[in-house]
Amino acid sequence: MLNENATAPLPVVVFADFICPYSYIALDQMDDLMRDYNIELLWRPHWLHPEVPPAGAPIPSAATAGRRAQTLAWLKEMAPERTDRMHFPDRIQFSLFAFEALEFAQDHGLALPFKTAVFESLWIEGRDIAQFATLQAAAEKAGLDSEELGRALSAQRYRKRVHDALQLAHDAGVTKTPTFVLGRYRIAGWHYYEVFQTVMEKQNVPLRAAVANSLPPVEH
Amino acid sequence: MDEYIVEPDVIPWREGRIAGITFKCQVLMNGADGGPEALRFRFDPCPSVFAHMHLTSQFQLLLNGRMDFPKSTMKLRAIAVHYTDHNFPYGPFAVGDSHDMLVLHPKQGGLISMADHDARRQINLKGRHFYGSAAATDWINQPEFRGVRCKPLIPPSSGPYAVILECPPHACLNLPPAPYGRYELVLAGSASVSGRTLLPPGLRYVRHDSDDVSTITPMEAGRESATLMLLAFDNDACEGGLTGDRLSVAAAEAIERAI
Repeated sequence: MLNENATAPLPVVVFADFICPYSYIALDQMDDLMRDYNIELLWRPHWLHPEVPPAGAPIPSAATAGRRAQTLAWLKEMAPERTDRMHFPDRIQFSLFAFEALEFAQDHGLALPFKTAVFESLWIEGRDIAQFATLQAAAEKAGLDSEELGRALSAQRYRKRVHDALQLAHDAGVTKTPTFVLGRYRIAGWHYYEVFQTVMEKQNVPLRAAVANSLPPVEH
Repeated sequence: MDEYIVEPDVIPWREGRIAGITFKCQVLMNGADGGPEALRFRFDPCPSVFAHMHLTSQFQLLLNGRMDFPKSTMKLRAIAVHYTDHNFPYGPFAVGDSHDMLVLHPKQGGLISMADHDARRQINLKGRHFYGSAAATDWINQPEFRGVRCKPLIPPSSGPYAVILECPPHACLNLPPAPYGRYELVLAGSASVSGRTLLPPGLRYVRHDSDDVSTITPMEAGRESATLMLLAFDNDACEGGLTGDRLSVAAAEAIERAI
């Protein structure tokens, strides 16, 4: 039997940074979760490198080619379907403009496809997400007005909102990216899809298929 | 009181291979009697040891070399320790630089690859995970033990704890109760306990339910001092284990194949 809140979507918030590869490989998981369960999904910023300037910063020498290959091997085990086409950027990129653009997309109801387009710009196409042109191209893919986005970014229209959102993540004790808040549960760091399924079940969130089957037939 | 003493020098090494990863292994204690399970592994250099979990609490004590985990803060360099509650997955991880580690369980824990989708449904969502390294931990004096100083790599306030003790020659340690089990290991120098002399990485496992610590034989540092390590479990040691269900059977078979 479904619980009484079966029709109310469970809020799921993902605190993430576009430059985080573990956030990138969580894309499919969250899409699958939204497909399978009645959730309201929101991606919020957690800025990994606020010290990095808009031009980016060199990757520390400690992150050698060997270390990068090691990370790629780990990612491949975790999400082989995502890593085949994945390319690591040669600099640490500046995320703030992308966060602002995400707010713009949020206001236009297209945050979810836009965040995917931004992640893929960086991790598949190897583009610099600190460039307005990159974000505008992602906006077009998501069905947004890229010219309007350009004006919003130039005017820093969403700067304060992003800082407020970053403060919120800080106040919420988010220290790892990605961090998932699924109703009453918090998962810090990437995890297996089955863990999200378990969390859904613990909160009596029904499968969409179960909800569909429980609805009375529509009369024509 | 349960007490097990192991001198690794007399235990043969076995060659092992699992999922393309090669290693040498010593079975220090097999846990077949319901007691502790302790294994020593020397992995050949490998960029990605597959993610897995054990069905009991675990300390991994890195005696030599390095272990790098995906989390940026978890780049372990010996001496370092890593604790997980039962059914808490970790990895994948990279090993190298003459890797040598002890895997210490309060009971048999098996091995489950996280490629097993059913196992992912058994993950302990409230599982705890602690780690620490000697290089990143300062010495502090131990007033209750004259001349002894310690490094709490995982402090006792965490529940399970891992502490290095540096003891002067012939220091006699009357250690606190260990209701959930504790490994006591010689990292450097030598120590004697119950009439046996332990050299690195010789160890004792002790578990006793009483507050009467007089029943625990004290450890005594050798004539050239001793650096010891205590690794104590808390009540998570009572959880999990090989209970005979499908996952337990698979976990037991996997560790059997590996070693």
